[in-house]
Amino acid sequence: MMEPGLLYENFIDINGFVALQVVALGLVGGVLSGFIGSGGAFFMTPGMMNLGVPGVVAVGSNMTHKFGKALVGSRKHAELGNVDKRMGAFLIVTSFIGIRIAVWINSALVGSTDSHGAGGSAAGDLYISAVFIFILSAVAVSMLRDALRTRREDEAAGPSMRIANFLARRHLPPYIHFKVADVRVSLWVLMVVGLATGYLAGTIGVGGFIGVPCMIYVFGVPTAVAAGTELYLAVYMGGFGALNYALKGFVDIRMTMLLYLGSLIGIYIGVYGTKVVKEIVIRLVTAVIILLCVVSRAVAVPAYMRQLGWVDLNPEWDPWFNGASKAMLFVAGFSGCAIIMYHVIKSYRQRLRVQQRLTEARAAV
Amino acid sequence: MSEATPTGGVADLPLTAKERSPAPALSSRQQTMQIVCISRGSLSRGKELAEALASRLGYQVLSREDLIEAAIAEGIHVGKLETSMMKPRAFTERLARERDHYLAFSTAYLCDQLQKGPLVYHGRTGHLLLRSVGHVLRVRVVADEEYRIRATMQQLGIDRDKAVRYLTEVEEDRRAWVRSMYGVSWEDASQYDVVVNVERMNVDNAASALVGMAQLPDFQVTPASQRAMDDLLLSATARLRLARDPRTNRFAFSVTAHEGIVNVTYLPHDMEVSEEVPRVLEGLPGMEQLQATMAATTILWVQEAFDATSETFRELTEIARKWNAAVELVRYVPSAEVGQGPETGTLPSPARTAAIAGIEEDVDEEVVDDGGLKATLDGLAGLGRSGGGRFVRGERSSLVGACCTTVPHSLVVLGNLFLGKEPGTKLRLTRELQDSLGSRMRVPVVTAEELRSHYLFGPRDAFRLLGFLAVVAVVYAVVLTHEDAVLRFLAGDWAGPGRLTMYVVAAAVFVFAPVVAYLYGTVARSLMKLLKME
Repeated sequence: MMEPGLLYENFIDINGFVALQVVALGLVGGVLSGFIGSGGAFFMTPGMMNLGVPGVVAVGSNMTHKFGKALVGSRKHAELGNVDKRMGAFLIVTSFIGIRIAVWINSALVGSTDSHGAGGSAAGDLYISAVFIFILSAVAVSMLRDALRTRREDEAAGPSMRIANFLARRHLPPYIHFKVADVRVSLWVLMVVGLATGYLAGTIGVGGFIGVPCMIYVFGVPTAVAAGTELYLAVYMGGFGALNYALKGFVDIRMTMLLYLGSLIGIYIGVYGTKVVKEIVIRLVTAVIILLCVVSRAVAVPAYMRQLGWVDLNPEWDPWFNGASKAMLFVAGFSGCAIIMYHVIKSYRQRLRVQQRLTEARAAV
Repeated sequence: MSEATPTGGVADLPLTAKERSPAPALSSRQQTMQIVCISRGSLSRGKELAEALASRLGYQVLSREDLIEAAIAEGIHVGKLETSMMKPRAFTERLARERDHYLAFSTAYLCDQLQKGPLVYHGRTGHLLLRSVGHVLRVRVVADEEYRIRATMQQLGIDRDKAVRYLTEVEEDRRAWVRSMYGVSWEDASQYDVVVNVERMNVDNAASALVGMAQLPDFQVTPASQRAMDDLLLSATARLRLARDPRTNRFAFSVTAHEGIVNVTYLPHDMEVSEEVPRVLEGLPGMEQLQATMAATTILWVQEAFDATSETFRELTEIARKWNAAVELVRYVPSAEVGQGPETGTLPSPARTAAIAGIEEDVDEEVVDDGGLKATLDGLAGLGRSGGGRFVRGERSSLVGACCTTVPHSLVVLGNLFLGKEPGTKLRLTRELQDSLGSRMRVPVVTAEELRSHYLFGPRDAFRLLGFLAVVAVVYAVVLTHEDAVLRFLAGDWAGPGRLTMYVVAAAVFVFAPVVAYLYGTVARSLMKLLKME
């Protein structure tokens, strides 16, 4: 069964306007990615789905995008010694299993190229949306709670460390020592984290959201090494994911290329933003953007449920659900971007003022 | 909140109820005394050794417990700070401020106690608080594992397995504390002048041996080490005053001091604090001049002799403007050079030194040649980019230790170093130093010659941008104008159904995506470099 309006069963038609929207998705995703320090998939994957791209193709194309980007970026981290390759190797093995599970579930829900499952891509879209909503709600809420908690003057502590304390109380041999990160981690904990990271990367294209916090909070890895190792891991996970999805014909290389056009510029703007925005603002903005992305995805769910025949809704409402979801996502992304840009421009102008004052002072002397 | 009086020390600031504590009543530029810092592990008899040594030398004893008690009375959440530094958790701005407050207080407290008389301090890292001061005798006390396990079992009334686990966890926590606070390994023997194993040597005998060491000329106060102490105290009191004052205690600062010049660096998003800093630090004892710099980060420039008119200075200030960074200077004179006569002209006598690592020699106050450090600092201050300056003499490890401070650096630039060496040797030594600093500081370390090609947009970058842009345009044009063929290929419709077809597709995607990312990534990087936003 062929999805209506799709080329070669899986790919959307890209005209100039759609191409511009994909570049904009990449730009906003890149800015948020540089600002937050995550991959930006939480914005780009649902954004592509809003443009009519089947969920599995959106995830496959985004993983391919992540692969190339991580390959270029991880070189720099490796040069600075921020990559614990041994830890990366342990996580890679288990994350590959996680990715295989994710690809298998996604493909089974969409159906193979020979026979589609019930509901075509709707089942896959609903599943991806459900995982997306569940995981990112948890991430956003905990981030928001921590940010609001640390705002209180009497609270000197950082984010919650209940998980680390809980694991520290348990003796789970064998333990492995990682020299670069200088931590000792239970093999069992490593396996669970690797599996979860791989599964989420393979399901919704979001791996860093889980991998980096796990390395920091659960393993006790320094932040720079966690980011470097995650990027190193992303090369392998992205590469493995790209291979697996491409094998099933679920990678739209045009989407990947258009995403690059925006994201590789956006990252620089986002990173610049982190230099001029306070940490508390970074965390609040991040949490709110993620929450809005979650709500945006939730708005699209009724349409998928109708396509599966689970609820009785007027099919004419589908474009409205999709439109509302798309509008909300873009509002979330662009308002986040606007806040970052506002701070970047404000800082730039301050810089100019200081420079001018100094020049005037020198001239007066 | 009133301003500090010109004559008062840090304790003269009005204190809140919480702050009324046995805080250090400091005054800068007083004669300092000798200090022995004993770094002890858990149950390694460090306290016994410290007391035995102090009684033989007639020195006072100060323990980490005394220091912590004073820090708690100061209002620092030491318990929370320790837990945060030891256990895995993200490093928040608040935590960073708390850490800076603790470090400034501890340094000032130690210096204050030292001005009352010579001292034996036993704790974890007293030697690291005073690492820029040359006359500190740094002792590490270790005990046999078996002895420590038995002592733990006896003291805590627990079985062997629990004692082993307890010791492992305690050691792990302490290691994490030292690493997080000072960025060094606690067990690194190069951090100490002597390591004493109390299992092989009786505590009394060890104390007697250390008495002899403490009397060596290498560990006596010299004018140079006195000046290093003065600068350390001045920067600590300045930081402490900023941490105590409600007008500035919510902001992050990096504070250095050099010859009475206090340099305070604050972040761009804390710009509103710029007017408060001079008010809060007004009248700080020992402060002759205050320089406040707004910077998002710091670039470290290491050189043997500075010149404010050099090309490196121009390029560095251009990068600093672009990055919104301060430039911190470190004048490094390798120890092998010491002793060469002035006739060689390669080693100007460092007259007024700031922070000196390793063994210093007394220097003549009349000599004013500081290798261009002060003039270059003035040049940077004029541009609003000064991040302070220091002088380091000694082995490579001394320089690496001095560079690994709590001030975050984004880039290290190695200028002209090892001036008295042959070009080949100079190159090799610079490369070795580059490796050492890179692996310890985990930031890019470049030579002055590499600065332009790495961080400034030149003709080579323009050619690269145009070349890569052309290739990218061709690749995108080919793919987007041949959509049908591309999609047919990706869907596997170009050949008969079969696994081999899809393997070819997967391999093509696997190779093509990184190539596009690399090509376009290079264009994006060059473009951002051109726009000064990389």
